[in-house]
Amino acid sequence: MGTRPVTDQSQFNERQIKRIFYRRLGTAVWVSFLAAAVQTMIFFAQFDPAYLNEIASITISIDRWQGYALGFVFFWLFSFITGLFCGVIMALPRTKLAQSIRQES
Amino acid sequence: MSTQDTRPVELKLYKAHEKVYPRETKGRFQFKRKLAVFVLLGLFYLLPWFDWGGHQAVLFDLPHRRFYIFGLTLWPQDFIFLALMLIIAAFSLFFFTALAGRLWCGYACPQTVWTEVFIWMEQLTEGNRNKRMKLDKGPWNFNKIWRKTAKQFLWITFALWTGFTFVGFFTPIKELAVNVVTWNLGPWETFWLFFYGFATYGNAGFLREQVCLYMCPYARFQGAMFDKETLIISYDEKRGEPRMRGKTRREAENPGDCIDCTLCVQVCPTGIDIRDGLQYECIACAACIDACDDVMASVGLPKGLIRYTTENALEGKKSRVLRPRILIYGAILTLLVSSFAYALLTRSSIDANVIPDRNSFYRIVDAQRIENVYNLKIMNKGSQTAHYEVSAIGLDGLAVDFETDDGVLSAEPGELISVPIRIRADRSVANKKIHTIKVVVNEVDNPNNKRTETVKYFGYDK
Repeated sequence: MGTRPVTDQSQFNERQIKRIFYRRLGTAVWVSFLAAAVQTMIFFAQFDPAYLNEIASITISIDRWQGYALGFVFFWLFSFITGLFCGVIMALPRTKLAQSIRQES
Repeated sequence: MSTQDTRPVELKLYKAHEKVYPRETKGRFQFKRKLAVFVLLGLFYLLPWFDWGGHQAVLFDLPHRRFYIFGLTLWPQDFIFLALMLIIAAFSLFFFTALAGRLWCGYACPQTVWTEVFIWMEQLTEGNRNKRMKLDKGPWNFNKIWRKTAKQFLWITFALWTGFTFVGFFTPIKELAVNVVTWNLGPWETFWLFFYGFATYGNAGFLREQVCLYMCPYARFQGAMFDKETLIISYDEKRGEPRMRGKTRREAENPGDCIDCTLCVQVCPTGIDIRDGLQYECIACAACIDACDDVMASVGLPKGLIRYTTENALEGKKSRVLRPRILIYGAILTLLVSSFAYALLTRSSIDANVIPDRNSFYRIVDAQRIENVYNLKIMNKGSQTAHYEVSAIGLDGLAVDFETDDGVLSAEPGELISVPIRIRADRSVANKKIHTIKVVVNEVDNPNNKRTETVKYFGYDK
């Protein structure tokens, strides 16, 4: 059950490649959202954002709500970048080596 | 599709989405699902309105970093309970999936439960399956416009109410209600109310089975927990085939029991044909079982052409649902749940920490006595202001002494107090280099509520 990942893009046209890209983008956004939710929960159960604000080297004043929200956005952003890189790197680059690997398999 | 796309494509990227119009059905499994909807959503919508001991019964008070769950107040120090609860949830999922497949998806998942309610509203305003299909194909006349408007009105109202209730678990809901009426909401409350409302509307109204197909992580890995003894919803091919209907059926010599009425396909909320075998899309709602049982009863054939069964049973092999896998999962789950319950019931509302003074081993008080100095930290994890007394055991005649401004140790709910304490002992008793003693902190009004910490005590060994 489930689908095989698309690793070979050579047989797709421009429009389909665009769709593959958007699909990966959407997947990264959604999966990193779930990951960020868990990270936020675990992190802020241990650390109080109000206290972190007091000891932070940047001098902005935030309350707890803003701290939670900022933390969530931070986790989301970095998880998203990780996910996006995975998606980009999973596709083989268009080099001669990659082509030979494709032909062999 | 443009003319460029004539080359064969190995993998379908996306199927153009066809709207699924699930047909309404009744039966024993649908009754259970309906019951689950009422119980689960009833809890969700009603719980925040109840009070318990002067505060909202269930309130996740993030700004003050404390959770109220009925008589219990949880602080960040109680993180272990959250972790345990998540582990229990994971093991329940393993257990129930191995036992009977996607029980969670069919009966308890918020996605399924809210979708069910949104479909009821659709039925109420647009009519049954045939009427809905006809309405969608038909022109935008008065009938269509008012029915669609009524549906959207119900959906949006219900979604906003859902968003409001969701926020009500984090902000006292009665104050929130007043703020909504006077249009006096804070930015976070406004955001989350609309965000959760919108998510409910989008997921339950439009995305529906697509959430299960494309977005749900559980759906992707649940197959790994299945084995040949897992109860699955399955069509009995041996009994049903060859399926035929009408004239062909009447003239056939030996037709299968399936009369090919396709009702099982029409009732399916994910739009699959269960007769093709177990599929990834199946969320185990059992609507096809109920539909088929009705049909079998009306044509005078035995029920259970589609039923809960195991792969082994379908193949005619011996099948045993109670197997080592189930027993092991069950045992682990029982152990986890009981230790969770035990830890929760015996949880003390005092968190204490005794740290020895680093500067000295012991101090000589007078000719008979010595003392060790510690720093005592107490956190009040209860919901009321508490007064504490401190004592020490482990050696004869230990005396605890401390100084505070007003002579008593007291802490507000959630407050962490720190106080230096001196523990005195007789030289003749504390005559070894190192002793182990216990410091006991207990509540004055309720001596049973106590916390014991073990510390080292440096003796007079000269």
